[in-house]
Amino acid sequence: MVGIIGVGMTRINRHYGKGLRELALEAASSAVEDAGVNGVDFIVVASSLSYKQVGQLDLAGHLASYLGYRGSRGIAVESGEASGLAGLMVAYGLLASGVADKVLLVGVDKLTEYNSGETYSHLEGLYDVEGDGFYNIGHAGIAGILMRLYMNEYGVDRLTMANWPALMHANAKVNPYAMLRFAITPEKAASAMPLADPITLMDSYPIGDGAAALVLARGDSGDVEVSRVESSTGYPSPAHRDDPLFIESLRDAVARIGLSREDLEKIDVMEIHDSFTITAYMILETLGLSDKGRAPRDVAEGRYNGGGAPVLNPSGGLKARGHPIGATGVYQLAELTLQLRGEFPGVRVDGAKRGLAISLNGFGSSSYVALLTAR
Amino acid sequence: MITRHWRRRHNLYKLVGSRCRSCGRVFYPYSQRCIYCGSREVEQARLEGDARLVSYSIVYSVSDEAKYEAPVILGMVDIGGVKVIAELTDVSPGEVEAGMSLEPVLRRVTVNGESGLIYYAVKFRPRLGGSGSGGD
Ligand SMILES: [Zn+2]
Repeated sequence: MVGIIGVGMTRINRHYGKGLRELALEAASSAVEDAGVNGVDFIVVASSLSYKQVGQLDLAGHLASYLGYRGSRGIAVESGEASGLAGLMVAYGLLASGVADKVLLVGVDKLTEYNSGETYSHLEGLYDVEGDGFYNIGHAGIAGILMRLYMNEYGVDRLTMANWPALMHANAKVNPYAMLRFAITPEKAASAMPLADPITLMDSYPIGDGAAALVLARGDSGDVEVSRVESSTGYPSPAHRDDPLFIESLRDAVARIGLSREDLEKIDVMEIHDSFTITAYMILETLGLSDKGRAPRDVAEGRYNGGGAPVLNPSGGLKARGHPIGATGVYQLAELTLQLRGEFPGVRVDGAKRGLAISLNGFGSSSYVALLTAR
Repeated sequence: MITRHWRRRHNLYKLVGSRCRSCGRVFYPYSQRCIYCGSREVEQARLEGDARLVSYSIVYSVSDEAKYEAPVILGMVDIGGVKVIAELTDVSPGEVEAGMSLEPVLRRVTVNGESGLIYYAVKFRPRLGGSGSGGD
């Protein structure tokens, strides 16, 4: 059995004054203090874009001393946008197998060391650099293609699509760790500056830095248990799928974790990977929580904020809480842990017993799913 | 980047994909293993046939290397039943329409700022009337 005994987060922001180390230290210190432990025997660092932005290799080795744990074991994990949950998978394996007793999982990433044009070029690396990524796809080009495909396929207009970002901003407004703490209307989201038409600035995650950390322990300590973590790899491009809007690697990861559609409907709270508005709808329809073409209307009708289905992204999601690429999965886990403890300092899901984190790289080159349960 | 481009020049100039002899699927770009069934029985296959625009995006947020090309019109193109992601050319954002007929043509993709090298690859342009013949 693996439990989460401590969590820590920094507010996501453009932290020009703080480096990777300062952010990691801030989150790790809170998590260790929350756990009330003296030491850990393994550090797992989840990070992705920092390899391009900061350029530090052997991140675990270099961070260990700075965090005060020189001499502990350490390993860094990189799986693009899904690095955080990939880090959990490694930590879980180390604990469940008895290799480690206490693991510090730190998700940390910097996206603001360069101007946005250079950062977009770094983000293109999340896609197949010898396939789609050979062209000038930016960070949002593939998402733009998929969003237009969805709107044409199901006859959903631009304004209806904007229900998701409006809900996410409403949630982030009261999350002290969120980057974008202001409300927006669907009208405003739909008519914002275009990034990759039909995608606007308000359909995309913001560019920000952040760090989140967990202390995990073998045994039955901690209020929250990591019941399962699973994953699957997928096609290099959505163009390889018969239906580009269906994420087969996510379906497979969910099947491996052993959750049916009925099980999913009974989850109390989920933090899902809404890198773009379209990604959220693709996830909901791949999971079967919404019928095909229905997700935007289900969101508008309040199904996912207390209307019977799982509450989605009370944090504000990648859209508004923010998406420091390799750290995001660890934020999701920290937020769900606080929800299950009844301590989340924002939109709270009362009495939540089961939480699910879903993380993808791109549109499913990797998909990860983690199930957390209140003890 | 320079060597990667050189390695892939046949792919990029001629739309060379893969045909799996085990499961029959054709896909792009070329891979020595089938991405559908894992088979090693994969042969090179040039993508041919009618090309049609499935969907597209007008991309403004591009990398510094591409800033003079912005906005980039990025498309998902169905060519003979195989879908590929590629840039469109010789068309303005207002003229693009899902479903339109396209043809491949060799064009510049980026200029490498440091070396000044120019990279070429297949892009797609609206089919210029009649039966058209695949622009190479
Ligand atoms: Zn095959």
